[in-house]
Amino acid sequence: MTRTAGRRLFWAVTLVLALAGFLIAVLTGPVRTTAGDLVRFLRSPDPVHAAIFIDLRLARAVLAFLVGAALALSGAILQGYFRNPMADPFVVGVSSGASLGAVVATALGFEAAAFGFSGPALLAFATGLGVVSLVYALSLRRGGFKVETILLTGVAAGALASAVTSFFLFMRSDSYDQAVFWLLGSFQLAEWRQVATIGPWVAAGLAASVWLARDMDLLALGDESAQALGSPVRRVRRAFLAISALLAALSVAVSGVIGFVGMVVPHWVRLLIGPTHRTLFAASAVAGGTFLLYCDLLARNLLPAELPIGVITAAVGAPFFIYLLHKKR
Amino acid sequence: MSAGRAARRLALAASVLALAAAAAAQVIMDDLGRPFTLPAETPRRIVSMAPNITEALFALGLGGRVAGVTRFCDWPPEARSLPKIGGLVDPNVEVIRSLDPDLVVAFRGNPLRLVDRVGRLGLPVFVLDIGPGLDALVPLLERLGRITRTEARAAALAAALRSRVGAVDAALRGLTERPKVFVLLYGQGLWTCGGQSYVNDLIARAGGENIAASLPKKWALSTRERIVRDDPDVIFILARTEKDFAADRDRLSLMPGLAGVKAVREGRVYELDENAASRFGPRLVDVLARMAAILHPERFGGRA
Repeated sequence: MTRTAGRRLFWAVTLVLALAGFLIAVLTGPVRTTAGDLVRFLRSPDPVHAAIFIDLRLARAVLAFLVGAALALSGAILQGYFRNPMADPFVVGVSSGASLGAVVATALGFEAAAFGFSGPALLAFATGLGVVSLVYALSLRRGGFKVETILLTGVAAGALASAVTSFFLFMRSDSYDQAVFWLLGSFQLAEWRQVATIGPWVAAGLAASVWLARDMDLLALGDESAQALGSPVRRVRRAFLAISALLAALSVAVSGVIGFVGMVVPHWVRLLIGPTHRTLFAASAVAGGTFLLYCDLLARNLLPAELPIGVITAAVGAPFFIYLLHKKR
Repeated sequence: MSAGRAARRLALAASVLALAAAAAAQVIMDDLGRPFTLPAETPRRIVSMAPNITEALFALGLGGRVAGVTRFCDWPPEARSLPKIGGLVDPNVEVIRSLDPDLVVAFRGNPLRLVDRVGRLGLPVFVLDIGPGLDALVPLLERLGRITRTEARAAALAAALRSRVGAVDAALRGLTERPKVFVLLYGQGLWTCGGQSYVNDLIARAGGENIAASLPKKWALSTRERIVRDDPDVIFILARTEKDFAADRDRLSLMPGLAGVKAVREGRVYELDENAASRFGPRLVDVLARMAAILHPERFGGRA
């Protein structure tokens, strides 16, 4: 199969899966509904079905898709950034920083709300970005810029943030269910206004990274070569770090920390359609959205009670990742 | 803190405004201080988000109007066959909406995020808090009566409960001796009721002294050393079944050190119905009466 044909097949399959996923998402849930109910509702809407189909199920599916797209794109950017296929939003400390903010806000009862975000979500966003900025600043100070330094600083800062998070959880054991929400993720509280808040940012992040994708391709040759070929390496690196951090922090703010999407999806896409970043970014976003949409379907339909989605993404993502690695060798 | 004061002042201003509005449109505040518009007549489809609320609704004669309950709502027995909305911490918003309720009574312990999600779907939600002690029970029932427009029924229930509590108070008047009490929650570990629990208040009202009263929590983990030091006269085990009770009683007496505790030595280890005692509902008065009779049999005709 030629590369172009493979790529076409990838897009066709992903788009069909995504559309099917949205349809299944609208039709399934704890309340039994059939395709007939949906058709009847579309002909003559009633408030109960409007709430179930549109406000609860569709909003949730769209939000899951957006967050999946944001996480996978963030991961694809970071893997190119670090020239390391194991990189994901966890390694630069965004995820652990964001969950720290959320848990601290919950424990201290910080309840201000804005833009459809709750207090914990706002603080999650701020601390997620804060930790990345700190990691970046610390890495810069050590004489110039080194990828290994920022990677290791990120891991250390993430571990520190996790320690503080655990401390707050231990002190406030009564906020356990909220802690599970933030540490393992859920789309249970999805709403249209969250979609409206993060949607434009995800779209802008995708557009900007596709725009800069050529420079990311050059970075793969090494920073010196990229510089010699006319790419403003420092600026490109800063832009990509900012985009990926913003996407990851937004994701945690609406749905808690969801692991593995950022690592597995870009990897999988790269194996299927090749490493050119322009297509990799767009394809990762769509594939990540579809992947998380299906994970959320499992999270809410597998058991009578909802599972945290992080359990599903890890259970599905990790074995798949190992399988792909072995198949490739 | 001045931010706190400003916030309080703002809240005060808000509540003054809300009061002014309440006069016009029959708006009252729920237990989180959020506005709730009183319905003109008794709601027809009520969703209860906690077992104590379900019990209180049935006690107010609203059993036939309860449209959904949690999976823990097993009292009165009729509640068991009602549609389930999930649990206390995992109620399902979609199921609640599908029941098309005209009143949702939430419990302060339900995750607020989910309660808010229900409210934003346009359903009338009233959040009911439990109280720190027995004296909060009657006001709770009266509040529930108010929002369900069953005020007369609530007043009658309140009077009946008050007179039963009054009878216990009268029997215990002039008490000089207060037995030391340890309450054990069935299950792993030595979980007990601290000073902030309403069970602590029940023990005091029943003429006992909770040895864990100094623990500044609702539920607290006690230690063997503390129990041996405090040497309780009576131990109550909150258990769901006779079998659970027997298992925990045996577990206690086999724990090194605890066999020598006075209550164990003298066989004064009693079962309390966990189902009734763990819910802030009308049956707390039954629990109070049983506790008082066990702690002071001499004042209740000698039966224990």
